Parts: sequence; C-alpha cells; structure tokens
Amino acid sequence: MTITLMLFGMIGLAVLNVPIAVALGFVAMVAVVFIQGPHMLPNLALEMYDGASSFPLLAIPLFILSGAIMNASSISRRLIAFATSVVGWVRGGLSMVAIGTSVFFAEISGSAVADVAALGTILIPAMKSRGYTKEVAAATMSSAASLAIIIPPSIPMVLYAVMAQTSVVKLFVAGIVPGLIGALAMAGAAYYHAVKYNFPREQAFRLSEVWRTFKEALWAFILPIAILGSIFGGIVTATEGAGMAVLAAIVVGGFIYRDLDFRELKRACIDGGIQTAVVMLLVASSALIGTFLTEAQLPQALGHAITQVTDNKYVVLLLLNIAFLILGMFLHSAAAIILVIPIVMPMVTAVGIDPIHFGLVVTLNLAIGQQTPPVASVLMTACAIAKADIWETTKDNIPYLVALLFVLFLCTYVAWVPMLLVNLFYGG
Amino acid sequence: MNLDRVRAGFERLLEAIVVILVSALTLLVIAGFCFRYSGYALSWYDEVASVGLVWLTYYGSALAALRGAHIGVPGFVNAMPPKARVVATLFAEAVFFIFFVMLAWTGAEVLVVLGNDNLVSLEWMPQRVTASVIPIGAVLIIIAEALRLPKLMRDARGKGFIDTEAIEAMSHGAPDLGAGTEAKR
Repeated sequence: MTITLMLFGMIGLAVLNVPIAVALGFVAMVAVVFIQGPHMLPNLALEMYDGASSFPLLAIPLFILSGAIMNASSISRRLIAFATSVVGWVRGGLSMVAIGTSVFFAEISGSAVADVAALGTILIPAMKSRGYTKEVAAATMSSAASLAIIIPPSIPMVLYAVMAQTSVVKLFVAGIVPGLIGALAMAGAAYYHAVKYNFPREQAFRLSEVWRTFKEALWAFILPIAILGSIFGGIVTATEGAGMAVLAAIVVGGFIYRDLDFRELKRACIDGGIQTAVVMLLVASSALIGTFLTEAQLPQALGHAITQVTDNKYVVLLLLNIAFLILGMFLHSAAAIILVIPIVMPMVTAVGIDPIHFGLVVTLNLAIGQQTPPVASVLMTACAIAKADIWETTKDNIPYLVALLFVLFLCTYVAWVPMLLVNLFYGG
Repeated sequence: MNLDRVRAGFERLLEAIVVILVSALTLLVIAGFCFRYSGYALSWYDEVASVGLVWLTYYGSALAALRGAHIGVPGFVNAMPPKARVVATLFAEAVFFIFFVMLAWTGAEVLVVLGNDNLVSLEWMPQRVTASVIPIGAVLIIIAEALRLPKLMRDARGKGFIDTEAIEAMSHGAPDLGAGTEAKR
C-alpha cells in the first residue's frame, strides 16, 4: 500500500514537471516522516551524500570532457576527410561519410548528443549543399550519431554497469560488434535513400588520398585504441582510462595539432560538470527510494509476478524491449536507466539473462529512444542544426530506425553476437 | 536589471567552482593512476575522488538549477492551458523549495552529529568539511532556483518549458530550440 502510494506520488509530481530527482526525494522524505518519524529525517541527508559517492561514476564527467576536448581540436575535420577518402565514392557518399566518421568518433565520445553536435555542424550543411533534403541530412546524422553510445566508451553503459552492479569493461567490449553491425545496417539504409533520391557520389577512390588523410588523423585512431586497449586489458579501470583520455586529448589538441581552444575547454568542463551533476542527483535520490523498494521487496515481487506468467527469457526480453522502447520515447536515457534497472535486475537474473547481454540490449533500446520523438535529444539536435521539422525528419529516419531495430533484435535473440568478444577476451 | 546582474555573477561563481572541481578530479584520477604504477599507491585516492564527485554533484546541481537543466517531464504541463500551467508550476516550485530547505536543514543536523569524525584514509580531514556540501549545496540550489523563478513563471504564462534534452542539445552547440520543443508538431 505504502509503495503504491509512493509510486503514484512520484509519477504525479513528475507529471507536474517537478524534476524527477526532486520528485523521488520529496516522496521519500514524506515517507520517512510518516513511516519512521521526523527524528529519522537526518538520514535523508546522509543517504543523499552516500548516494552520490561513487568512484566508477566519476568516469562520466571525464569521458564527456575528453570527447569535448577532442572535438574542440580539429579531430572532427580530420576524421571526416579520412571517411570521405574511404567511402566517398559510394552513391550517397556523404551519408556513408556521416556513418563512417561516427564509427571512429564513437571511440572518442560516449555521448550521442555530443557526437551529432560535433559532426552535424560540418556534415549537415555539406549534405544540404550537395542536394540532400534537410530532413534526410538530419535523419542520417542523427541515427549515425547513435553509434556513440553503442561503441565504447559509452556514458549510458557506465551508468548501467553501476546501477546493475556489473562490469563496465565487459559491457564496453560487448558494444563493439553490435556497433559495427549497426554501422553496416545503417549504411544499407543510407544507400536506400541515395537510390531513392538519386544522391551524388563524392570523390573517386584513390589509395594515395586514403593514406594522406589517414596520416593526418592518425592520433584520432591511435589514442582511443590505446586507451580502450588499456581498459580492456585491465591495466587501468574505466575511470582511470577516462582520466587518461582527458590527458591524451589535451596533449594531442594542445601540443600536436596545436589547435585547442581554451574557451572550449572551459565550456567542456562546465557542460561535463552539469551533465554529471544532473545524473548524480538522480542517482542519489533514487537511492532514497531504493531503500523503501528493497524493504517492500518490490523488485523481487515484480520478478516473481513475471516468472509466474513466463520464465522464458526470450519472452521476458521481448517485454523489456517493448517497455524500454516506450520509455525511451518519453524519458531521458539516464533517467530510464536509474529508475528502471534496479527494479528489473532481480527479474533479469532470475530468468537467466546475462547482465552484460541485458546491458547491451538496454543501451540499444536507449539509442533508439534518443531517435524517437517527442523526447529525442539526438534527433532534436540534428533537426536544430538542419532547421528541419522533427516529425517530418522522423519519416525519413524510418529506414535508419529499421536498421537499429534489426540490430536490437539480432542482439536480443542471438546473444553470442554481442557476447562474442566478451567470451573471447574474458572466457565464457 | 539588478537581478540579472546578480544572476550573472552567481552563474560565474558556480561555473568557476564546477571548472575547479572537474579539473581537480581529472588531475586526481591521473595522479592516482601514475602513483599506483610507480609503486607508491595513494591510499586516499578513491575516497577523496568519491568525495569530489559528491561535491561536483551538489555544486553542479546548483548551476543546473540556475539553467533549468535538471531532468524533468514538461510535456504534460506544456499541454495545459496557461492558467493551469501557472498553478502547476507554483505547486512544483513549492515541492522543489520544501525538499531543498529540508535537505539544507537535515544536512546541517548531520554536521552536528558527525562531530569530530575524520575521513578513513585522510585522517586529518574532518567529515564535517566533506559533508558540508549537503547544506551548502542545498542553499545554493535554493538561491539558483529563486533566481530562475521570474523566467520560469514567464515561460509558464507563455509557451511552456523547454525540455531538458533540448537544453542539453543546446549546450552542445545546437541553435536555440525554443520553448515547448519536446511537443513541437
């Protein structure tokens, strides 16, 4: 009864546009007063302190910062030049360039919004000038950017790993194959658009041009591979790897390419700080609610109720996919992870789903969620850059969404696809 | 005009704190790794970094409050007629202020309870200093929200609120997405 009232209270406050973190905290505060008594209120402050104290989550501001610093230097331009030399000869070459560049940029950035802002400001105007409609340009860049959270590093993966108490390193590894399959599937969708709208080819393929642009972008390839390799090899933790990435980004931008803008660096610190604070406040206040949920054994009760209906993990995965796809349309991806993962994890493990496999499925769902309006941060950013309508763009985004849904269902039901490299590196 | 200047000054102060905290945490993580690999692991590294993240959470939250960046769901309120939206916003703000006033008060109580306790790994550092972030942060968040209140009420009476994700998108260089973006058709 108490839990039901609390859930209604939280939803009611959130609907009235109370920030979700405050809605959770306020409901927990009222519950403490009525259930435990006002003398227990100081525990609230202690839990809000402990809830935000998490060394692994320190990776979030550091990955945001490293991506922003790399972007503040000329990395984006160099990666685009390389991708153009490799895939520019294909029909609809610029769409392929957007996808190809996103694959490489994803190894630097862990946020799809950052990715679409960095690459979209260059590629969307270029696509428009080559005769692409603004809707197709926005849709292509938006969907390509979703690779940023599938291919490591990935901020939603860091958050999931902490909330599900599982290995972020293995989750990073699990993202590699689905990310590459996603890129290929989206290239197929881009080709469909290219034929439908008769988009042009860019430059002819020349090996000398590939080599020249490769050399110019060399550091953008070496550094992420070195840092991710150190994380995968267990030399550094994900948080330390993120710290090294910041250092490396400053060295490359400031001393090798010598084009780092220090105003951008300051802005990156502020953006990273704010985004981290927003997520961490939600993590802290969800810990308050978590205490009540645990006492009421709601996660276990939910798991029990579902397993009474079915203990088939594929049916459970289907239900969770549907739930996350709907949530992704209305909720910020960080909020979806923080609110839902602690509740569903007992059920997920009870039916025998690997937490790493599930983490990848959740990430793919949220990548799609960032593309599906009304709440769709990545799509909105792309549309703002292209000056395109969100709903019109969504129509042209459908082929890409089909491609992403294909990857989601492939990874959901053929578990060895995401788990291939995990099992190879760390054993079955 | 005066309020705008106070707001701008307050924003610059919070920005400076956030930049210092993010820079310090980055240096700490790099130093922690370097010392560990040179055989002189810093025993206090994990604990201090975690404290730093708590500080970033609350000082950063004050800046986020000032910019209206905390994750919310404005779609339903935006769909309301302006008068109902104003009432809903007043209610939501009352909840916001009550929560952070209570957090500031309980946070101050905790400082008394902590007495002379110190950190485990850094024995000379009083926990009263590290935990001071809760009452101080809560007060800063209250001030930030109060400074945002005039704009918030203008938005409530006007076209409604910008979605958090749109604010995040704009912080990454997207052009101004305008009010009620998440429901724009």
